[in-house]
Amino acid sequence: MSSLIWYIYDFARKAWADTFLNAKNEPDISEKPERFRDFPKVNKEYCIGCGACTVSCPSPNAIKLVRDEDSEEGAGMTYPVIKPGACIRCGFCAEVCPTDPKTLECGHNHLILPEFNIIPSKRQYIVDDYLCIKCKKCLKKCPVEAISEIDGKVVVDQLKCISCGECLDVCPVNGAMKAVFVDNLQDQKELILLCVNYLEEYINAKEDDLRSLEKDGLLQYDVPISEIIDDALKIMPDEEIALEIMTNAVNRLKVRIIDWDKDKCEKCQLCIPDCPTKCISFDESRDTIVRDKDRCLRCSICYQTCPFSVIKYFIAKFSIDDGKIIHVTVKASNLNENIVE
Amino acid sequence: MIVPIGPIHPALKEPIRLKLQTEGERVVKAEIEYGYVHRGIEKIIEGKTWQKGIYLSERVCGICSYEHTQTFAETIEQISDVDVPVRAQFLRVIANELDRIQSHLLGNSTFFKSMDHETLFMHVLELREYAMDSIELLTGNRVNMGWNVVGGVRMDADERHFNKILKNLDIIEEGFERTRQLFAEGPALALRCKGIGVMTKKEAIKGRAVGPIGRASGITKDFRNGHYTYDDYFDFKVITRTEGDNYARTLTRFDEIPESISILRQAIENIPKGEVRTPVDLKSGYAMRQNEAPRGEVTYMIETNGSLIKNISIRTPSIANMDSCARYMIRDVPTVADAVATYATSDPCVACAERVAITNEAGITSIKKFDEVI
Amino acid sequence: MFDAIRDVVRKSSIHVCIVNCGGCNGCDVECVALLSPRYDLEQFGIYVHNNPREADVLLLTGAVTEQWKDNLKRIYDKAPEPKIAVAVGNCPISGDVFAQEGGHVNAPASNFIPVAAEIPGCPPRPSEILEAILAVGPQAIADRGREQQ
Repeated sequence: MSSLIWYIYDFARKAWADTFLNAKNEPDISEKPERFRDFPKVNKEYCIGCGACTVSCPSPNAIKLVRDEDSEEGAGMTYPVIKPGACIRCGFCAEVCPTDPKTLECGHNHLILPEFNIIPSKRQYIVDDYLCIKCKKCLKKCPVEAISEIDGKVVVDQLKCISCGECLDVCPVNGAMKAVFVDNLQDQKELILLCVNYLEEYINAKEDDLRSLEKDGLLQYDVPISEIIDDALKIMPDEEIALEIMTNAVNRLKVRIIDWDKDKCEKCQLCIPDCPTKCISFDESRDTIVRDKDRCLRCSICYQTCPFSVIKYFIAKFSIDDGKIIHVTVKASNLNENIVE
Repeated sequence: MIVPIGPIHPALKEPIRLKLQTEGERVVKAEIEYGYVHRGIEKIIEGKTWQKGIYLSERVCGICSYEHTQTFAETIEQISDVDVPVRAQFLRVIANELDRIQSHLLGNSTFFKSMDHETLFMHVLELREYAMDSIELLTGNRVNMGWNVVGGVRMDADERHFNKILKNLDIIEEGFERTRQLFAEGPALALRCKGIGVMTKKEAIKGRAVGPIGRASGITKDFRNGHYTYDDYFDFKVITRTEGDNYARTLTRFDEIPESISILRQAIENIPKGEVRTPVDLKSGYAMRQNEAPRGEVTYMIETNGSLIKNISIRTPSIANMDSCARYMIRDVPTVADAVATYATSDPCVACAERVAITNEAGITSIKKFDEVI
Repeated sequence: MFDAIRDVVRKSSIHVCIVNCGGCNGCDVECVALLSPRYDLEQFGIYVHNNPREADVLLLTGAVTEQWKDNLKRIYDKAPEPKIAVAVGNCPISGDVFAQEGGHVNAPASNFIPVAAEIPGCPPRPSEILEAILAVGPQAIADRGREQQ
């Protein structure tokens, strides 16, 4: 009985009623410790607009560089804006921020030593050892001494490189120093594939020219780049980068073209067992030989096998002019003659 | 009859589908369907620098996120021949053991929740908060710590931090004794745990069970033996049991906590002075490293070309543990409730386990069951 | 009068279901930590039981993966009215680090179901989740209940 009275007394106390009606936690649970890395704090006035934070951020949508509109007093300020819905609070942006004092502040970790400050870039500078003539002009030109010679090879130290591009200008050999895009590799692949497929179809469509081509003869076409640039921009919206990738790819491109003259074919089916990828098959219902273009390696074995010269084999090379016109040169293959001799 | 459980179900914390085949009340067979949390982290990391990759590898798993960053960093250090400063190695051990304590406490509290023992669930979860406090104090974040970098750790810690961690450890140790006694000697819980979901040593080897789940069945492997820091500076005992039932698995996790606390005390007592981070000269190459995460062995295989990661493959402990749980533990279990509790003792972490995806010819990504892949 | 009583009751009795639609688990663990005596979610009348059929609030975590594209809407339809969905963490808001080349996610979650509130962070601290649920949840449920009539 006494315990029941005690219970009623306990419930009737004002303190109990207060806590029951206004439930709340102790305030200390929402206290963050001193080293807690919260969302980065932006000090707009120190920003130099280098973009190191946007490039270094592991989360793709977290940081955007914005620029205020120009006013009468002067040019608008450039500064990073953090989107809390995408920021993962890693504090890497504060780590790479090169300004002093820091534009971005996040926790304690930006107080580390300057040698760990890395400015990532969209491009990575690489020396092609095969083409490099070891003139060492880039070594002298580099402002941060990122390029050095190790074991007879010129090497770029990626940790020191600030992606200024001076070495690229001073290099006397075309292609020895490369500025490779490291972002969106998948898009780059698609872009190159688009160029190759378009050019191959373009040449294949000129059937008559190809079939009437003499031995040692050449075919030349000019293809304006504007015909594929719309498709290219769908894959890679930045026109400058897209053009550069296409130019690099097309200049080095060598496409092998297979022309298949169906009228001449006698259905001997000799080419079918020879194909290494089994892409040639005989369609009995339609009484024709079918070649699966997507699986074909363009290896020329069928061309060398065919006794009726149904299959013709050409080699096409390309060069690009001012980023507007692609020059195409097509040459017939002379593989068969070599075998006969 | 087949009883499907999940992907969203009161008994489960993470999306997964358990299919239990029952005969009357007994559960005779179980099957697990994966594929609800596959995000393709390995593919995202490919072609990125380690500075970005280390934050991505952290998000493989939210519970044992620490060990993933440490293994990632150690793999790249192995490729580049970097010697990490000893103070940084000690700080890594401190964070690792705190992470192990919180993960084991969470695993056990989830088991008690699935057994509907709310009291122990609350007690254990309250203890875990002290471990989380220490982690947040040391690294600046509670779950995804962002604490490891290649060549060391990001921040130094001083006496104040260590004293607070030691104070928290005392609280954990005191509460731990009580909760362990409540579990091990309480008649109600022990009756429901002993002899349920038995996995013998032979089956554990066959099912490739790792970590506390394997050790509860008699496997003695612990990847902390063989790690350079633990070998050189720390003494600890590997906890093994032989029963292989729910009781043994829960007690193995409980008994590893005092070992972790003793490692932490050794680390804080003997920590040398010096640098915590060293500059790294990245080299290209390939390396593989295995480490002991709270749930067992984590393996990273990384191929780099100087600054970029060309190829990465991650093996997590949960995939082996969950598979051996479905094959051997839930085999002849008295009730469906016990089957769910058995699933919870295997300490499943679905986000870890979602590593396998297969693309068919039409280009559609389909995630297959582990059985079909092997 | 009846509506007023129902509003008050709804505000102080919220059933929560955590729906992990493909995240790293961190946010789910932080939601479980909310149950611990330190944060004590239940003193505010919030009860976590992970059953969508009784839930008033769906706590969404995780970027929407391939398997969840259709299932997320199905789960949402199963919850009785009035209901709200709250996005916890960055994944359902923006896809976090997974929304880039190579990832298999379909963030944001608001493309699939209406999301009433967002709690940023990767993962947010339990106290941040608690504050956000208390600030948004009760009023939003009461408002939505009135819309239904």
